[in-house]
Amino acid sequence: MTVRGRTVRERLVVVGNGMAATRLVEDLVRREAPYDITVIGDEPHPAYNRILLSAVLEEAHRPEDIWLHEPRWYDDHGVRLLLGQRAVRVDRERRRVGLSDGGGCEYDRLVFATGARPVLPPIRGIVDEFGGLRPDVHAFRSYADYGRLREAASTARRAVVVGGGLLGLQVGRALSVVGVDTEIVEVGPMLMARQLGGSAARVLERQVRRLGTEVYTGARAARLTADGMLLDNGYALTTDLVVLACGSRPASRLAERAGLFVRRGVVVDDRLTSIIDDRVHAIGDCAEHRARIHGFVGPAWEQATTLARVLCGEDAGYSGSRIVARLRANGLDVAVLGEPETTDGEVVEVANPLAGTYRKLVVKDGVVAAGVLLGDLSRIGVITQHYDRQTALGAAEPGGLLLGDSAAAPVTELPDDAQVCVCAGVSAGRIRRCRDVSEAVATTRATTGCGSCAGSVAQLVDAGANDGSHNAAAAV
Amino acid sequence: MADTTTGSTVDTHCPYCSLQCGMRLRAPESRRGSRRGPEVETWPEFPTNRGGLCRKGWSSVELLGHRERLTTPLARDPDTGELAPTDWDDALDRVATALRTTQETHGRDAVGLFGGGGLTNEKAYALGKFARVALRTSAIDYNGRWCMSSAATAGQLAFGLDRGLPFPLADLAETNLLVLVGSNLSETMPPAARHLTTLLDRGRPLIVIDPRRTPTAERATLHLQLVPGTDLALAHGIVHSLLAQGYVDQDFVERRTTGFDDVRRLVASYWPEHVERITGVAAPDITRAARMIGEASTAMVLTARGAEQHATGTDNVLAWINVALAAGHAGRTYAGYGCLTGQGNGQGGREHGQKADQLPGYRRIDDEDARRHVAAVWGVDPDTIPGPGRSAYEMLDALGTDDGVRSLLVFGSNPIVSAPNASHVAERLDALDFLCVADFVLSETAARADVVLPVTQWAEETGTLTNLEGRVILRRKAVDPPAGVRSDLDVLAALSERLGPGGGLIGTDPEEVFAELGRASAGGPADYSGVDYDRITREQGVFWPCPAPDHPGTPRLFLDRFATPDGRARFHAVDHRGPAEPPCADYPLHLTTGRILAHYQSGAQTRRVRELAEAAPEKFVELHPMTAERLDIYDTQRVRITTRRAATIAPARLSPHVRPDTVFMPFHWVGANLLTNDALDPRSRMPEFKVCAARVEPA
Repeated sequence: MTVRGRTVRERLVVVGNGMAATRLVEDLVRREAPYDITVIGDEPHPAYNRILLSAVLEEAHRPEDIWLHEPRWYDDHGVRLLLGQRAVRVDRERRRVGLSDGGGCEYDRLVFATGARPVLPPIRGIVDEFGGLRPDVHAFRSYADYGRLREAASTARRAVVVGGGLLGLQVGRALSVVGVDTEIVEVGPMLMARQLGGSAARVLERQVRRLGTEVYTGARAARLTADGMLLDNGYALTTDLVVLACGSRPASRLAERAGLFVRRGVVVDDRLTSIIDDRVHAIGDCAEHRARIHGFVGPAWEQATTLARVLCGEDAGYSGSRIVARLRANGLDVAVLGEPETTDGEVVEVANPLAGTYRKLVVKDGVVAAGVLLGDLSRIGVITQHYDRQTALGAAEPGGLLLGDSAAAPVTELPDDAQVCVCAGVSAGRIRRCRDVSEAVATTRATTGCGSCAGSVAQLVDAGANDGSHNAAAAV
Repeated sequence: MADTTTGSTVDTHCPYCSLQCGMRLRAPESRRGSRRGPEVETWPEFPTNRGGLCRKGWSSVELLGHRERLTTPLARDPDTGELAPTDWDDALDRVATALRTTQETHGRDAVGLFGGGGLTNEKAYALGKFARVALRTSAIDYNGRWCMSSAATAGQLAFGLDRGLPFPLADLAETNLLVLVGSNLSETMPPAARHLTTLLDRGRPLIVIDPRRTPTAERATLHLQLVPGTDLALAHGIVHSLLAQGYVDQDFVERRTTGFDDVRRLVASYWPEHVERITGVAAPDITRAARMIGEASTAMVLTARGAEQHATGTDNVLAWINVALAAGHAGRTYAGYGCLTGQGNGQGGREHGQKADQLPGYRRIDDEDARRHVAAVWGVDPDTIPGPGRSAYEMLDALGTDDGVRSLLVFGSNPIVSAPNASHVAERLDALDFLCVADFVLSETAARADVVLPVTQWAEETGTLTNLEGRVILRRKAVDPPAGVRSDLDVLAALSERLGPGGGLIGTDPEEVFAELGRASAGGPADYSGVDYDRITREQGVFWPCPAPDHPGTPRLFLDRFATPDGRARFHAVDHRGPAEPPCADYPLHLTTGRILAHYQSGAQTRRVRELAEAAPEKFVELHPMTAERLDIYDTQRVRITTRRAATIAPARLSPHVRPDTVFMPFHWVGANLLTNDALDPRSRMPEFKVCAARVEPA
């Protein structure tokens, strides 16, 4: 913005200090964007990688290494960071954000990056008389949630996790790994019902059970009592703690009260800008773009990067993301590409419940449109690349991708023209014609380079000695 | 020194790669006038290769007395436009006149020199001195920019010093874990792979990181087959996992490094599943690699061109140095980061002044003290030494333009085959007013020259090279050169006489030039002043720095301190950017390029050796059978491969060892580098040889 020939830096206020907000600020700093930036975070500590919390709970990741930036980083880059402060109102007329401490800050541009809040299921007995969760009931979204659950888990013997989706499985496995006897209750007909079909879910369920975690599907947790968690199928699960992992909803109340257009999330266009106020933007789990709310970090980062470009005046747009959901849990290898249950296309699938594997690709016009890999991720690095790049595949290719590589033939069965000594360029046939290893070395120079073929050369010579091929060769 | 007319032997070194394998040349037992050349024998005592040789070494003598050998200068006839034989005086006069005319008309910097990483230390030093003193041009650089310059830059930044390996090669066999990043050691330097054999026989693991399942990867305990151009993200994923699992060597990090906190914050965003999405390496393999690195009591991380030849090459190497530093694998015996240099004298060639920004002894040309010291050795006023010039590709890119080089001398290089976006380089060469090439065969570049000077080659001349270990070795003369051929030193001496500064500027005796080089390097990072030919012979090479005759040399660097001002190694928080040219709908495949066993560099030498030419007669396009099926291509079928710059035709070679999203081409023939991307690394000026977007179809 220029006023009488002088460039005036606009004030940019970011509400939220999660992964989307952090990536946005990083990208703006990297681009030396002309903004005075203020970040408002309601948690008391600086930004951290939320994705790692279940690994930290599982003790597979040290808690001190999930922090993304120290407060010094914000100072060094001239970013004002307000921690432990909540944005309580937004006055779009005056372009001012009111804060929980009574203060406020004015903006020229406002970004909602408020994330999502856990959905609390209608279970009787989980709430205390003040409307908060009972001490033995936990949500799992923030670092504070992690701290509280970790402490509880250190003394608990049994746990019930309500929700058999990605988060429920991760938390369930984590608790089980740290020694808590854990059961998972899922109201839907199967685990990861949003992503998986029946046969895949059965393979997964079996694997979860094999790892020692009981699973109840098609069962509603109805009531928490002194006897434990009562399910609507009549079961009563004794437990010391309960974790609620029933999904989340966009934290869009503030935006709604500010009179912005909000359906489930803050509705934004391809420039991640509110459709009714072009000074207001939204990214991450609180944003609704083309009627979608993603709830994954990948799209949140792509949105953050796009918005940074938009804010720098570039002609950038966000057109959606391709999602690969990866379960991060000890002993469970699951990757879901897109929405395999609802995407149209030809289905190629390979299932081996005995080995605990299930793989499926949904192919549309030769392109991988969705997929599931369960129990065997050996080809994930190629399949996700094809998915991300929308590579047009050949007819046999999806099947080929789902089958493993065949084992190599033993050395003695190599055809005569196969190269055995790469360094000296010696074929199996040449070696077979030699009487012993020293003849092979002297006449062919095999083994004189890197020496790695010494074993193969000896085997070939031995095999030749046994089948009498030396004589045949001598006759030639 | 051996008598070359009897059946006696000379201990010398192979003409090709940076291993500089020791070999013995036995002169034929025959009378004078015989056309038979010497024979190759092993030199089992030489420690780098312990008698091992690959087929390139065994067949190397075929280049001596080759029928395509140039033995007379050639000059382009202005009437016919053809190259025709002439005598040395005429050829040298033409060159001197052209250079003088160009400098008078267009200024000093309009004359350029282009050197090579295969030239001896003496020649590299003489080229730099000739440029700065006889021509006073800043325009000098060499093809080493396309070799290991990213690792060199990263080594300087992280350790304060760049020497390919900071330890003897034989240490590879003694470490407890070896990580090879973008190196196909078994195929590109087979005798070095003997150390892998020992390592594996000791039951110690090998991790190989390569988009192809190469013969080296085939031997690995763990092979991470990453998407080309994602090396850096993979390294971050490993540091993330080292942190997550508590494998960071806190004590080492605290005492001997700086900058870890920034890396630690940065890699918090590189968790294994995220890195899997970028690199195409399954998350469990990433954590497994980290566990292996974290648990090993000693480990080495070695990079080669696969990680380095990128527009982000310097950052890629820095990220892998982070891995070594975080796990405490540096600055100790049998541990550390190293670069597997490629060219014969890739190491020495980058130390003595044929690089645009450099003076002998690995000194910076913009350092006042360095200028004073070198000027005193040269007997010139420091102010007459030009400042830094353009890097290799930038120099070639500006050839024939108003502010670029108008007359160029090329020594020991074949940029038409080896430069990226090579058809553009050919155009630039054609735009020159004058091109002179000194070579021993008529290479593709020499064929475009106005004057071609036939020079001596390996085994016909004596000189030192510095191999990938930083070991200065002596490559001895074993045969007399053919009549009519002169050494590069003779050529430079004769030209400097014609250009004015007079005789004696450039010495013609390699041993004397080496002594002068030693004086010029004294006090610099690569200090050779304590090395002489006798010591090299007695000690089977001397490791620099060696600042005095009674100094033992330095086989292992950094044991007490790194070469930075505070003695600490530096972590670098570098972010992943990915390839400059990602695949798209029109060019859906990654193209990566590399070497194969039978050939060396642009192939100007090895393509002329019958055994090697028969083993690998032509270029090819390696692709996965699944990819081939999709494109309706069968094995050996001729295919057209196209990038944004050019297209070329070659037979397909089907192999399950390459990623299905990637195709591979060797670069030893005209072809691959017509296709490659000339995007440059901002710090090392390394072009992105290792990845660009391509399309393949039946021809």
